[in-house]
Formats: sequence, structure tokens, C-alpha cells
Amino acid sequence: MQTFSNAGGGAIVLSMAERIIENRAYLSEIDGKIGDGDHGVNMAKGFGMAAERLKSKDASLAEALDTLGTLLMTEIGGSMGPLYGVMFIEFAEKLEGNEAIDARTYGQMLHAGLEGIQSIGDAKVGDKTLIDTLAPAIEAFDAATAAGKSFADALTALVDAAETGRDSTINLVAKIGRASRLGERSLGVLDAGATSCAIILKELSLGARGRLQ
Amino acid sequence: MTLKALSSRKGGANRTGTAEGLDVMPLRYGDDPYVWACWLYYEDGMTQGEIADAMGVSRATVNSYLADAREKGIVNISLEPARLASLTIAQELKRHFGLADCLVVPSDDNARPLIDRLGVAGAHALQKLLKSGDTLAVAWGRTILSVGEHTNIGSLQDMTVVQATGGTTASFAYTPELTASAVAQSISARCVNITAPAIVASAQMQRMLLDEPLLKEQFAALGRANRIVFGISSLRPNSTIHTSGFFESVSLQEYLAKGAAGVVAGRFIDERGKPVSGPLDERTIGISLDMLRGIGTRIAVAGGFDKVPALLAALRGGYVNVLITDAATGGGILRADGVTSLDSRLSPRQKPVSAPSSYRTHVKKFLNNPNVVVEEMLDGVVKAHAKHLLPINGSHRALVARHGPRVGKVGLVIGGGTGHEPCFIGYVGKGLADAVAIGNIFSSPPPDPIVQCALAASGGEGVLFVYGNYAGDVMNFEMAAEIAEEQGIPIRTVLTTDDIASSPLEDREGRRGVAGNFFIFKVAGAACDQGLTLAACEAVTRKANARTFTVGVALEPCSMPQTRRYNFEIGPEDMEIGMGIHGEPGVSRERIRTADEIVDTIMDNIFKEMKAAPGDRVAVLVNSFGATPMMELYILFRRVEQRLAAKNIVIEANWIGHYCTSLDMAGASISILHLDQQLTELLHHPCETATLTIN
Repeated sequence: MQTFSNAGGGAIVLSMAERIIENRAYLSEIDGKIGDGDHGVNMAKGFGMAAERLKSKDASLAEALDTLGTLLMTEIGGSMGPLYGVMFIEFAEKLEGNEAIDARTYGQMLHAGLEGIQSIGDAKVGDKTLIDTLAPAIEAFDAATAAGKSFADALTALVDAAETGRDSTINLVAKIGRASRLGERSLGVLDAGATSCAIILKELSLGARGRLQ
Repeated sequence: MTLKALSSRKGGANRTGTAEGLDVMPLRYGDDPYVWACWLYYEDGMTQGEIADAMGVSRATVNSYLADAREKGIVNISLEPARLASLTIAQELKRHFGLADCLVVPSDDNARPLIDRLGVAGAHALQKLLKSGDTLAVAWGRTILSVGEHTNIGSLQDMTVVQATGGTTASFAYTPELTASAVAQSISARCVNITAPAIVASAQMQRMLLDEPLLKEQFAALGRANRIVFGISSLRPNSTIHTSGFFESVSLQEYLAKGAAGVVAGRFIDERGKPVSGPLDERTIGISLDMLRGIGTRIAVAGGFDKVPALLAALRGGYVNVLITDAATGGGILRADGVTSLDSRLSPRQKPVSAPSSYRTHVKKFLNNPNVVVEEMLDGVVKAHAKHLLPINGSHRALVARHGPRVGKVGLVIGGGTGHEPCFIGYVGKGLADAVAIGNIFSSPPPDPIVQCALAASGGEGVLFVYGNYAGDVMNFEMAAEIAEEQGIPIRTVLTTDDIASSPLEDREGRRGVAGNFFIFKVAGAACDQGLTLAACEAVTRKANARTFTVGVALEPCSMPQTRRYNFEIGPEDMEIGMGIHGEPGVSRERIRTADEIVDTIMDNIFKEMKAAPGDRVAVLVNSFGATPMMELYILFRRVEQRLAAKNIVIEANWIGHYCTSLDMAGASISILHLDQQLTELLHHPCETATLTIN
């Protein structure tokens, strides 16, 4: 059975932060089309601060996710702070105490994150939010493992579904958040939260896949 | 693609050499518009706008020609390898060590000694970093003396230079006294010397000297330093630290034995940057490592390969946030700290870097560092309004009214993102809000400062939260409310929803809170100040919210300090009706009309919902979104008054100005509060805040 090691997995969070910081301008740009244009800036700030704290430590994946989640939750504010904060804290809790992370644990982690987000926000699939990336990605991962696919293949399926989910937001009308006041005018634009969520899931899952033993 | 006739460009001869009116492309470009555009841009030095005119295409098209030309390889941009390398190393050092700035001198320039080149670079850095009124601490050394010798800044005022350590024997040229006075002279600063030896004979002597009033005064000056420039000494056998006689060799051996890797301002650090203690500590007179680390700008100037371990130690210890070094040393530091990707990045790039994708211009703003605008603004706010506001536990993100909270009174906490000034900070003070939690630009504060506000505002009768209805604010304030209640403070919440354009009447609860906050906060603050119960305060605040109606109109978008670009576009002839206060696009876009017609549209919408009978009284707020001047606000108010008068509705009070803004957006909102007896009394209740004083 394929697993990857929790120890040393903090590096995955560091590369996640790097991707978010690289995409700072892009995320703000798409957010500016239907939101207030600060998504990239706030995300980069939060992930950058977390990276700063993790840089010199050889943290496990669980520790690094906890650091990131706590920081987003307590210091960033906005709506993304609590939403991503709760997701990463839930992720961390599910991984804690596992030396080797298998597909089952990874799946439980994803579900805990989704449930955490749903406990504080009201968004559903189709509302043009990060849920449109997260929910189908988890579904694809579950389906792949249920079909007996390897952990590596399930992670690939997850990344593909996340990106398809992200792209689905182009054709959606926003129902939640500031963009929702735009009604039909939010059509034709990617949702910034769905886009950053795809970046996060991709980096996390590719990082996991690259460490499978 | 069709090319229109070449239009005559303003300002100069037609450099393309083609007769005007000919509907063709100049011969020398073949039939490739990419080559033509590139030639005009890179060789003729025309702007993209001029090229657009010359080619008869839009500026966006020119921009995409230039970008595509880079990708197609028509244009190759190459940087001089040595300069590229030093730039790459500087970027990497900055990123890797989280530096505020880094300057790396190219290594290929061997014409001048390294010490001179570092001096020139250090001078550059001082030129850029020093501001009038600074106190600059200066440590001693050959490199820093060189910085002083190469610096010549005449434009700064009220500068002070303080020698960072005591003095030494004058057997070498770069003593602490001479280094400090050279730097002081180069920036026309007053020079404060430390008039004691850097190292004295005994710990007792050190204590006695530090007790001298003169030295106390000199150390007080050192304590005021907001910037420091210092060298880094290696402890290798050939380093100046050995030859200068600054330290006794016996003591030096003891520090080396304990793992000292370098010396920063006369203090020893190990390879992790931790202080190394030894016999000289109690005998040293000069800046301590803790003092040094407390200084805002900490400029280290040092180079030479033997200094790599010492520099790395200083960087790891956080003593440096601006580094001036040379490429060989910089590369060495990075490799020594495990950065392996550097070498591949230093080789010439295969793929050309992507072209600047934007032809939009940046908006001009008064900025120092775009990443800390909120912090810098709050520094100003706390100083400007010290009469009304006080930071809670030292944090500028949670401010309490100096004369607000009192026992037996319900506390009022407001808050939200920044960019709306004077909202929310301007409404904190006696008789209005008791505390404010402050987030980032257009972004809710996290729960912690809100909890701090609740604790500070509590007078034992519960706390009322009043804030705009936005998803992020709701999440964070709700979490804060839970935490505060766990700590025994009853919390009630009223979400402001006055923006009638943001959602239909059936969804009144889904509407957002905008400039009408002004009235709702005022009423809530007065109710709390009058000693009403928490339930009564909540009820009357809900009433105020239900009777406040706002519609905004934007003429131009706003721009964020970090991007300095417009968040979205509004066409040259257009306006947005229903614009909120975060730069979210409004709900409908129309051709701009006269001021009176715009007011009529707004007032018609308000009258649809506000059931005011003749003789009823209202309060009016005409609010600028940031860029719209008072002149235009009065023009709007003029028509508002006419419309109200025509219905025989009486204006009890009015406010015109900047009350709830959206950074630099051009536009305005009109808010009407439909008064009743209770609301009228609360509106007139005295208050004293930075923005609103009612006696």
C-alpha cells in the first residue's frame, strides 16, 4: 500500500506558499473583475507569514498545516482567513499522529476540511466559490480509491477534478459573497477562491504524490 | 488585419519615413506588423500609444504585438551577465533571509578595491533609506568608514549620527569616533560620540561609567536610533578584529573556543546568530545585540569571502534587514545556507521572460512601502487622534475610546476593513463607539482584535456589535462573539444593511452596509451612552438600520495601494449605480447624466422604500467615495434638499463630506435616515470623536 511520510512534509506547505505568492497578482486580477481585487494580496500575505515561520523548521506536514491554518484563522481576517484557516486546521488534526499517511487518511483529511468550511460558510456546489473546486476534487479522489486505484492515481484524479471544478466557475453566477450582488454580471469570470483552492489542492497532492513510497 | 492610414503623430517628424495617407506598411518591415511594432518600440523609442497612432491600431493591439514578439523570439532581451548575476543573488538573498532590501555589487569589476565598491553601494543605500529627522547609529570599521567617505547627501534635515560603541586606540584609521564623524559629515548630521572606551578594564568600571550623566545622555541618543549601519567582522586569523587590537587576544581565544563565528558592533555571535557570552561582555560599552535588533532599519555592509560565516550568522540571528555585499560573498552565503538552485538560475535563460503584460498606467499614491500601508496609516491615526483613541494592549488593530467604556454602560464595538476612512476609526469616542477592530484593506479583522475590543468596551452590561453585512465580517465577528460570550460578556449583534441597491426589498437582510453606518453607529452609540439596556440598545439600532436608506453612484473605480491599478473599469461615458464601498462593481451601468438627474434616480429609489409623510423629519448624509470633491457633493445636496422640500419632508440635520469612503474612488452616496422622536433625540445626543462632535 502506498503511503507518504508525515515527517518532513512541511516542505509541501512551503512550496504551496511559493505558488500562492507567485500567483498573487493573478489572483487579485481575477478577483478584481467581480470582487474587490484583494484576494491575491491577502492570500500571499497569509501564506508568506506562515512560510516565514516554517522556513527554518523541519516541520511535519501536520505541524505545517496547523501553523498555516492557525495563522490564516487568527491574523488574516476577511472571509478567506477563517475559511481556509478552518480547512487547514481540520487537515492538520486528521493527519496528526500518523507517521505514514495512506489514501484513507488523506481522504479523511479532505472530508474534514470540507466539513469545517461548511460549518462556518453556507456555500454549496454551484454558488461560484472555492467549494466548486474542493467538493468535486474530493469526490474524484473518493471514486478513484473506491475503484481500487492506487493512491498516486487517486491524487492525479483529485488534481484533474480540482482544475475542472475551478474552470466550472466561469459559467456560474455568484450566489455568495460580494460577487453575488452582481447577478448575471459575474458570468464569464473565474472565481478567485476556486482558483486559489485549485492551486492549494494541486500543490498539496503533487507534493504527496512525489513522496509516495 | 487592416491598417488605417498613418496618422500624423504629435511631436516630431514622421519617423517611419512613409508619406502620410498611404495605406501601406513601410517597406523595411516586410508585411510583418510584429516587426514594425517592435522597431518603433525598441529602436525608435516610441511609446505604445504613439505606435498605436502610427499603426492605426489600438494600444491593446500594440501591447499584444510586443508581448507576442517576445514569445516568437522576434525580440530577445539579454541582460549583461555580471549584472544579471548580482541582481539574481540580491533577489535570492532578499527572499531567502526575508530582507527588506539587498544590494549586491557585481563581482567582475576588479578595477577598484572591494572596500571602495562596498562604500559606494553603502552610500547608495543610505541615499535611498535615510529620511530627514533620522537618528543613525554608526558602528566602526573599515567598510563603514568607506561608506562615509563615499556618501554625500546634502538634502536631509535634522539628522543625528550616534557612535554605536565606545572608542578605541587611534592606532588605525577607522576608529569608532572617526567612522561616526565621517558618516555624520557626509549627511550633514549632528554627531553624538560615546565618550568612553569601548572596552574598559573591569565590570565595575563599566557600571560606573554607564552611570555617568554624560554617558547616560549619549546612550539615550543611541536609544533613539531608528537606523543603524554596521560592518560584520569575521574571526578568521587575518581579520581586522585581530590586527586592530580592539579585543585582547586572550579573551578572543575564549570566545572562539565557545563557537563565536563573527562580531556585530563589538558583540560576539555564534554560527546560528546567538550571542556568545564571555569575559568582555561586562566590560564592553556600546550598543547591545538586543538594542540593535530593536532598530527598524539595520544596514550591514560587508564583503569578502572570509566573511561568509560571520555574515551568515548575522543574517540568521536577524541582526540585518538591509544587506550590502558583493556577488561572490552573496553567492557564498546562499550556498552555505543550502540554496542549491542558484547556479542554474545564474546561467542564461532559455526561455525569454514574459513581456510586461499590462499597458495600463499605475495610479499615483503617497506610499512608502505598499505592504505596510495599513500599519503606517494606523501609526498616524493613533498619533493624530490620541485625544480620542487608545491602542488596546499596544495593538493598533484594536483601539478603544479614551473616555468611552464605563461601568454600567453597554459597550459598542464597531469595525471592518480599512480603506473607508474616516469609517470606522473616526466614530470611536465618548458618546459613540467604545472600540473599533481594524482589518486589512477591504477585509474584515480576524477574531482576536474584535475580542480585545469586546473586553475593552465591556462595562458589565453586555456589548453590542454593529458592522456591515459582509460574509467575511460576519464570520470573524461571529467567532469573536462566541469567544467573548465564553468569557462572560453577553454579545448582541446588529448588521447594517442600508444599501438599498444591493438587493431587492424581499432580501432586505441580504443587503450590504455602506455609508448609512454613520447614522446607525450614531444612534447605537447614543443609546449605549444613555444607559439603555443591551436589548433596548439592540432594538433601537435595528430600528435605525431599518429606517436608513443609501444609494451610491461611482464615476471612476478605486485602486488598491498594493497594485496601484484600478480594480475594474468604468467606461469613459459611464457610471455605476448601486456601487458599494469596496469597489465591487454596482448593479447597473448607465450613461452618465447630469447631477440633478443622478440625484433624482437615487431619491426615486429611496422614496420607493421610505414611507415618509409630509412633515416627517429626516437626516441626510451626502458622502464622497474618496476622490469626489466637496464642490460636487454640495451640488448633489442642493438637489436632495429640493426633492425633500417638494414632499414637505424636513431636514433635521445634514452632513456633507468624506464619511465612508472607498479609497480613491470617484463617486458619492446619499443616505437618508427617516427619523422619529426617539431617533431624533439619539441623533442629537452629545458625542466627541475624531470625525463627529455634537455638543
